[in-house]
Amino acid sequence: MKASTSPSAVVAAASEPSMLQEAWFALRQWSKLFLRNKLAALGLFLIVLWTLFAVAAPLVAPYAPDATQLEAKLQGPSGAHWFGTDQFGRDIFSRVIYAARISIWTGLIAVGISFFIGVPLGGIAAYYGGWIGNLIMRVMDIFLAFPSLILAMAIAAAMGPGLISAMMAVGIVGIPEFARLMYSQTIYLKEREFVEASRSIGVKDSAILVRHIFPNALAPLLVRITLGMGFSILTAASLSFLGLGVRPPLAEWGAMISEGREYIITGEWWLVTFPGLAIATTILGFNLFGDGLRDVLDPRLRTSRK
Amino acid sequence: MKRSNTMMMAIALTLILTLLAGCAPKANQAGGDSNTGAAGEQANTPTNGTGSKTLTVAYSEGGQTLDPAEANDLTSDTLVLSTYDQLVTYGVKNVNGADIAATEEIKPMLAESWDVSDDQKTYTFKLRKDVKFHSGNPLNADAVVFSLDHIKNSNSGGFLYQQASIESFRKVDDATVEVKLERPNHMFLQILAMYSFSVIDPQAIEGDANEFLKTNTAGSGPFKLEKWDPSSEAVFVANDNYWQERAKLDKVVMKFMKEASSRTMLLNKGDIDLAMEIPPKDVDTLKQNNDLTVRSDASNRILYMGLNNNMKPFDNPKVRQAIEYAIPHDALLKDVMYGQAKQMKSIVASNTPGFSDKGYVYEYNLDKAKQLLKEAGYEDGFQFDFTLGSGFKDWEDAATVIQAELKKIGVTMNINKLARAQFLEQLRTGNVQAFMSKWTSFVNDPEYHLGFLVDSASSSNYVHYNNTKVNELLKQAAVETDMTKRNGMYEEIQSLINTDMPYLYMYEYNRLVAFNNDVKGYIFFPDECLRFYPISK
Repeated sequence: MKASTSPSAVVAAASEPSMLQEAWFALRQWSKLFLRNKLAALGLFLIVLWTLFAVAAPLVAPYAPDATQLEAKLQGPSGAHWFGTDQFGRDIFSRVIYAARISIWTGLIAVGISFFIGVPLGGIAAYYGGWIGNLIMRVMDIFLAFPSLILAMAIAAAMGPGLISAMMAVGIVGIPEFARLMYSQTIYLKEREFVEASRSIGVKDSAILVRHIFPNALAPLLVRITLGMGFSILTAASLSFLGLGVRPPLAEWGAMISEGREYIITGEWWLVTFPGLAIATTILGFNLFGDGLRDVLDPRLRTSRK
Repeated sequence: MKRSNTMMMAIALTLILTLLAGCAPKANQAGGDSNTGAAGEQANTPTNGTGSKTLTVAYSEGGQTLDPAEANDLTSDTLVLSTYDQLVTYGVKNVNGADIAATEEIKPMLAESWDVSDDQKTYTFKLRKDVKFHSGNPLNADAVVFSLDHIKNSNSGGFLYQQASIESFRKVDDATVEVKLERPNHMFLQILAMYSFSVIDPQAIEGDANEFLKTNTAGSGPFKLEKWDPSSEAVFVANDNYWQERAKLDKVVMKFMKEASSRTMLLNKGDIDLAMEIPPKDVDTLKQNNDLTVRSDASNRILYMGLNNNMKPFDNPKVRQAIEYAIPHDALLKDVMYGQAKQMKSIVASNTPGFSDKGYVYEYNLDKAKQLLKEAGYEDGFQFDFTLGSGFKDWEDAATVIQAELKKIGVTMNINKLARAQFLEQLRTGNVQAFMSKWTSFVNDPEYHLGFLVDSASSSNYVHYNNTKVNELLKQAAVETDMTKRNGMYEEIQSLINTDMPYLYMYEYNRLVAFNNDVKGYIFFPDECLRFYPISK
């Protein structure tokens, strides 16, 4: 859509009405396809649910997340404490709700880092090619050579434990995925007529990349963003589980599971179960939604799936 | 591809996270069975059979070194104590039906006797002639001289060497060693009985001594080390040529399991015989099991919160006192330690001779805390950074409880969690504003705690406490031979500390050990290390 507003896209103007029509048609078809996919709808529901919880946490949560109440410690689920209480008598339901804020923020910021660094790198690498493209993509390959969680742990440990470093670690780990996706899209798009046309009338490289190539690569990137959210939340929770994430007393799902795991054998199962379910449903939501999104945005995969 | 990866990770993590405690012991149990099977080959019976003489014990850590002079953690110390002997050792007394070490009573070990000169500065040790090292070499004065030299030049044990005030040592003849002290030192023999002063066989060493001793043993102890893998287990076999009666156990398997719940669960199911470092919250569960004995002995290990006396706002004693008033001691004892600890009322542990709670006037009182903060000019409270070394659950729990409490008096405590190695590094560089740490007195004497924690010249005085009066009294007490006078000085020091509060008091730990009822002969030592020699099964 940005391409159509470009004042220099004179040649492209001929195809403009058809592109708009195409877009409108596609949108209608997408939403139809999307709603037909019940799993994707469930995914969207879960995402919306958790986002609402996160936004409205102070309204939803019956207690403050860090309010200790030692005389009520380790109580099972009840009317007063729906998900029970932890070893300090903190309400687990409230903590799970508040933790959604942290997890969703972590996901957004981490994916943001991956996106805003990975996409330009991939675009530049593919558009210019040559040694610069080689250099960028080989560095990305090096990143990909490490298992992502191990790399995130190494980065987080090097920066010192904390929420910020966990977010950055997860973000950095996600860069190569975005770079590679943008790279393959750009390689394909840069040979298309509308790009060649822009180049032939002297549009600057940066403008071609930002105004012509990027908008056309947006669909697969959107899918990647959604799936990346799930990955980031999970990796951040894993880091917290390993003690490389949030600082006490902040509520975070991974950290809650880590703190609660010692209580399983003495029968206090609710300390880990509820944050575990929260992680599971959130990740499931993003993954189902991402899958559904891919189905509607990528026609090549559409037929191969039911 | 990517999708299924993420999905798989999601599923795997959920499974791991929610079922971790449930699964881990099962995995360990399989390992335990196969290993005890291997361990049982000598006795030809599985561990749970009655005739077996194999003891399987669980520890949290795998140990760092086998070098007696460098060992500085519970597992390494235990490895050293099983394979080495010392010149002298501690007596044993029975208190309320439980055997505990009598550290004030020194008994002969490798030295059959010793003479002390009239000025209390020269000790002459006569060595036993019937002692052979594991290598078959006989014990002689050269070995003792080598060992003393080794600890003198060591990193970790060097401070104990200084603490013992040894000036020089020499071989008199093959069976006699003379040690000269800089000054009379009432702790000398007690320190000499520590594992750091183990006698090493110099002839068994190949190549560089420091390198060799790190991963090999060269002792004369009751057990020979068969295998040591810090990531899984250590295996000992009894030394058949031991100079004393042979150990009652044929084999000892030390299993290293980081997860505390795994240790508890394996013990509860009878898959291991003894577990060290039991989480206090599991004590009640274990006590319900009639096959188990849980020993909870008051130790000399204290947990304190150090406040940097050089940094604002803790340079003001009133602020430090205020925080002590805000510490909910009852909650710490009851909700963090589940009753397996005692309140501290001095920087010295309460079962140390010379302990005094003089000057400890504090009790949980938030109004008093607020008032003191006001007097100190912090009416609106303040923020501070608290560095938390990971690895001990109770530290984190205590910090969280205190954090919530301090919030009520307007003080924000930012908890920075660091890996243990990073934490120790930060302590050494000395820029930590507040932290939590433990201190164990291996020697049952107040000088040990005070000399390390409050002497301004000590390298362990991480809070940078400096009180000239305290320094002066410490110097006087160290050379005072009259017990009553000395304890009087220690009392005065403790009272000064209780007023200055350079440290906040958390609690005194109990050493928790749980074992099967058929394990006999457990003795509690103030260094909290387990001696396998007196144990039978």
